[in-house]
Amino acid sequence: MSLSISHLVVLVPLLPLLGAIATVLLGRRLGPRAHLPALAGIGAAAAVAALVLLGTAADVRGGHGEPSRPVEVITTLWNWATVADAGVADTASGTPLGGAATATAPFSIPVSLRVDPLTATLLVIITGVGLLVAIYSIGYMHGDPGYPRFFALVAMFVFSMSMLVAASNFLLVYVFWEAVGACSYLLIGFWYSKPQAARAAKKAFLVNRVGDFGLAIATFLLWMTYGTLDFHDTYTADGTIVPGILGQTRLSDAAGYVGGAVGTAICLLMLLAACGKSAQVPLHVWLPDAMEGPTPASALIHAATMVTAGVYLVTRSAPLFIGCPGALTVVSIVGATTALVAALIATVQNDLKRVLAYSTISQLGYMFAALGTGTMLGFTAAIFHLVTHAFFKALLFLGAGSVMHAMGGVIDMRRFGGLRQLMPVTALTFVIGAAALAGVVPFAGFFSKDEILAALHSKAHPAAHASDHAEVRVAGGALPDAAAGPFRAASYRSDAAPRGAAGDAVGLDALDRPATFQWLYWMSLFTAGLTAFYTFRAVFMTFTGPLRVPEEAGHHAHESPREMTGPLMVLAVLSAGAGLVLFVTDALGRFLAATPSLSAPAIVATAVPHAFHLDLAIQGTLAAAIGIAVAAIGHYGRRSDSATTARWLGPLGPILANTFYFDALYRVAIVKPLEALALVAALVDRYVVDAAVDAIGRVPGTWGAVARRLQSGLLQRYALAGVVGVLAIVLALAWQLRP
Amino acid sequence: MTPTSLSTFLLAGPELTLVAAALVAYLGGAFFGLRQGWVVALAGIVAAALWPEMGPGSGAVATSGPLAIDDFSLFVRSLVLWAGAGLALVQSGDQLRAAITPRPGPRPTGTCEEAGTFLLLLAGLSLVASAGDLVLLFAGLELVSIPTYVLLALKRTDARGQEASLKYFFLSLVASALFLYGLAALYGIGGSTSLEAIGARLRSGEGRVAGTAEILLPVAFGMLLGGVAFRLAAVPMHFYAPDVYEGTGPANAALLSTLPKVAGIVVLLRLLALGTGGTTGLIALGQGAVGPAAAAWLTFAWQVAALLAAVTMTVGNVMALVQTNLRRLLACSSIAHAGYLLVGVAAAAAADATVGGRPFAGPDTAWTGALGGASATLFYLATYTAATVGVFGGLAYLGHRWPEWTSGSAPRPPREEVSTVDDLDGLSGTNPVVAFSLSVFLLSLAGIPPLPGFWGKLSLAMSALEVDWTARAVPGSRRIVFIALAVVLVLNAAIAAAYYLRLVAAMYFRSAKRGVQADGGIAAGLAMLLALVAVGSMTFRPKPLFAAASRAGAAVAAPHERGPITADAPPQPGTAPRVPLAP
Repeated sequence: MSLSISHLVVLVPLLPLLGAIATVLLGRRLGPRAHLPALAGIGAAAAVAALVLLGTAADVRGGHGEPSRPVEVITTLWNWATVADAGVADTASGTPLGGAATATAPFSIPVSLRVDPLTATLLVIITGVGLLVAIYSIGYMHGDPGYPRFFALVAMFVFSMSMLVAASNFLLVYVFWEAVGACSYLLIGFWYSKPQAARAAKKAFLVNRVGDFGLAIATFLLWMTYGTLDFHDTYTADGTIVPGILGQTRLSDAAGYVGGAVGTAICLLMLLAACGKSAQVPLHVWLPDAMEGPTPASALIHAATMVTAGVYLVTRSAPLFIGCPGALTVVSIVGATTALVAALIATVQNDLKRVLAYSTISQLGYMFAALGTGTMLGFTAAIFHLVTHAFFKALLFLGAGSVMHAMGGVIDMRRFGGLRQLMPVTALTFVIGAAALAGVVPFAGFFSKDEILAALHSKAHPAAHASDHAEVRVAGGALPDAAAGPFRAASYRSDAAPRGAAGDAVGLDALDRPATFQWLYWMSLFTAGLTAFYTFRAVFMTFTGPLRVPEEAGHHAHESPREMTGPLMVLAVLSAGAGLVLFVTDALGRFLAATPSLSAPAIVATAVPHAFHLDLAIQGTLAAAIGIAVAAIGHYGRRSDSATTARWLGPLGPILANTFYFDALYRVAIVKPLEALALVAALVDRYVVDAAVDAIGRVPGTWGAVARRLQSGLLQRYALAGVVGVLAIVLALAWQLRP
Repeated sequence: MTPTSLSTFLLAGPELTLVAAALVAYLGGAFFGLRQGWVVALAGIVAAALWPEMGPGSGAVATSGPLAIDDFSLFVRSLVLWAGAGLALVQSGDQLRAAITPRPGPRPTGTCEEAGTFLLLLAGLSLVASAGDLVLLFAGLELVSIPTYVLLALKRTDARGQEASLKYFFLSLVASALFLYGLAALYGIGGSTSLEAIGARLRSGEGRVAGTAEILLPVAFGMLLGGVAFRLAAVPMHFYAPDVYEGTGPANAALLSTLPKVAGIVVLLRLLALGTGGTTGLIALGQGAVGPAAAAWLTFAWQVAALLAAVTMTVGNVMALVQTNLRRLLACSSIAHAGYLLVGVAAAAAADATVGGRPFAGPDTAWTGALGGASATLFYLATYTAATVGVFGGLAYLGHRWPEWTSGSAPRPPREEVSTVDDLDGLSGTNPVVAFSLSVFLLSLAGIPPLPGFWGKLSLAMSALEVDWTARAVPGSRRIVFIALAVVLVLNAAIAAAYYLRLVAAMYFRSAKRGVQADGGIAAGLAMLLALVAVGSMTFRPKPLFAAASRAGAAVAAPHERGPITADAPPQPGTAPRVPLAP
């Protein structure tokens, strides 16, 4: 099976790439059928990705019967470049700082693809949602002058994103991290003649640069520290193993990972990168503006897939983070803070897409909060939420797009209402998506959010959980082997002795305490209530009450075509059922546990039996119910009364309306000073540098005029010049031989 | 020299195959036309390429008769065959298409002999790299020159074409005469026509070569360099290039800017090997000291090469800046590229030169995986050849348009060519594939990463910087000279970018004044695409070429033992003595 997987995984990125190339080459000729190459490429990739997932699942299940044994398949396509003897050496000891790599290891960049449970899961999500969005776009983008360009970009994005999650090398991850950023930039600015769109694209790009800077520095540090950038173990020509950063050798080595200041720096820089790409505070400001792009692009890139790249990066690098509890806790703090801040802002937005954008930021915050627990439950819960979120948020965005399509481009919720009469399918699917987002039993979001809350709760109250699970263990007796040792529900680094090569703890590690996570738990629970509120506020404002249609809609005001409603229905089914199925069977959790990155002993030790936490579920459901109830009181069947809302919010109102003054702060503190600097630089450039360069630039031209004069075209002069030149050389050389 | 025998002919199999194909083309001229001639030419090249490897194996040299075949010869041979295939396609122009799908209209002028002449040129060039003897070396060089005159004269019958071919002919004669003088002086030094024997004599540690013949060293080197400089189009023998390129067609310009340059570099590196003991060296390992004559020889070599490199690239580039005619511009740029190539030659000579009789401590090679001077030159030569064949292939493909010719009944107006920079305006709109390919080639020539031209320039600059790597850079030292040379190279690359980007900008950012019909023949377009594939593969997988150039450069620049093939036993692949490179 693994042989075929190693071949198939190459096809997953390759097919959309071919689709993109074909669209570029044939797009103009195909006209209204320009979607065909991209659709075929993404569709075939989705089918292949499904096969890869099935094959990996068989690998995880079959053969060894140990659920926690990691599974990975590496396909090295070619070696892009090799620099011999580039190994960094610690000048004192002569060996690389933390690793076992030899000091003269070559710096090589193999183009390697990997398949493991994490990659396989994400590939299916990327290509699957990509396919649905592409189908939807046939209807949505119909008649747009940039029709072929859109599909080429979407296919290009699917290629880049699949490469990002399939790459087995930090440098390749960086390359495709940039590639998805470029696709995102191009799609946000898709209608580039609109000034807001061009501005939003620029903003997204620039804010992301901050994060990319973090990833670049993190990559440098990784190379300096570990002497390789590969995830997997590689073998040199003479048969010795070069342990990859996330390879089996290092994972099973207790001293494999560097902690302390260097490790924490790497982790925090990666977190910075993740904050940029996944729109976490304080780099979240680009995502709401990114809604200027076409709605299907928002659904695919800015909701379901690209923005989860940060979650993927942290999950993939889990063993690095485990060695740095301080950095890990910062991940949780950033996540929970983002979740709360974004949810608060979302409650006062009137633009339907912006509500969803802030909700995306908020839900991504949940994922980070779960990741920061550093437990097996936390990591799997984050990916579980990533999967369900991909379904229901894509559904909500596509639903919003359907509304926007029907309303003639108007997306301000105050200007329409009662649309369920006009667009029954959109309304029904949107409500399902909203219920999933709000965490209503038994829709998908309920289960994944419950797991995240459980992960936070287990860190906040380690003792309670330990006893809880101990009972379960006695009763059920079906524990994974890895957890069979002395049971620890959650481990705190500040309690335990430093592990392995971690060395000295950094001050940040003091954050890793139950009290921190108690705060984070309650923040997240409150956010859950807010989520339910703003989601259903949007539902009530859009779909209930008397029918209202803005005049821009014209004759468009009807249900969207089948290409658009079809994907909505598919996603609605997934949003409704996926959570329940995946939670009850725990298929995803057990599957993901076989990911090499999650098989580090420190993570495996935190694995707990799969359980339903009734107390947490009740708390979560209660929060959702309160949120929905408040939304119903305020908005069911009625227009929102802004005066009432303002009175109700009090001083919080202007803060929320101005999105916590993030943009204003950045404008004053960063943009304005930089603009002033840019102005000075421009003036210096024009009047000092350019003038000098122009002067220098005229020199070769002058010489050229002289040389041209010598180029007389007369044969005898040419021959004379040549012979004289040779004689001059001979004489000059002979001069050196003088005694 | 080992006696000539059957093994000599087997070793020269590919060259003989080319000659045989040439004979077929000549004889066939009585029976069929030019189009079929080019089919024969391509078949001959393919057959030569398929000839089984008779080489000595890695790091060794096989000598038989006047031949001395090592990794360097094999590298040049395959470069010649690849370039030959591309050039044959460009040369054949629309004739090849006509051979497949006959079309009405006047038969193209030209005869089948053209193709045969081209094949002889290739054979001569390949022989230059395989020559272990002055006579064969000169014969090979003339076998490059004489077919070139013929092709120049055959292709263009208008006044400018005739002027160009006549200019080339006379200046080439001057260069050949200089080269022959140089060879005579070299014979005077070495007392033999065998490169091996001359090299041994040079390095033999005797203070005075052949009694009082020391003065022959600068004479020999200067004259030989004059002959080589003409082929390279390097200062001071560069004047002909713009006139000749402009006067002849793109196919011949492609030929002139690649094959003679290969010949020049090959000869130059072989001459360096006389001092270093490269392939034909007899220095026992561990006995590194070489005689003062060889030291002087190498010192001359790096001094002259460094000076000419700096002057040549600067002259070429500043002249190119002011050109408006496309082929004149490319001629100037080819002069500049000769200068770049000489940087590597200078570095190769300096890296192996001995100073004051002391063995020179080589550069700290552990520093990077960079190539040495000779290898960098060969690598650059390959990238340059691929891009140049591509550019001229594209121009040939674009050529021959009939602006006013619309229907089949009207008399066909004379063909026109893309000749000025303005003709390229808006090409991206009318011929996107050609515009893209040309841009790739031009950017590679300009040295924009990650295209192979960048890796080539980087290797050249690195090889210059590695000279005396461990020494301190004090004024007047060799290290400072080579640092300056690397700086000049980089500055020149910046100047060159100006005119290359001007062409790219014309194609992409200006609107078309006149549509270009691209009727220059599908074969030229095919050559362009072939070059695009070559440039692309060098971009994405530069490693094989790096490795091959590195081996070839080591063969010509580093001393090692030779593994002769005994005269009477025909060499068999695998049975040839294989002597590994010294560690």
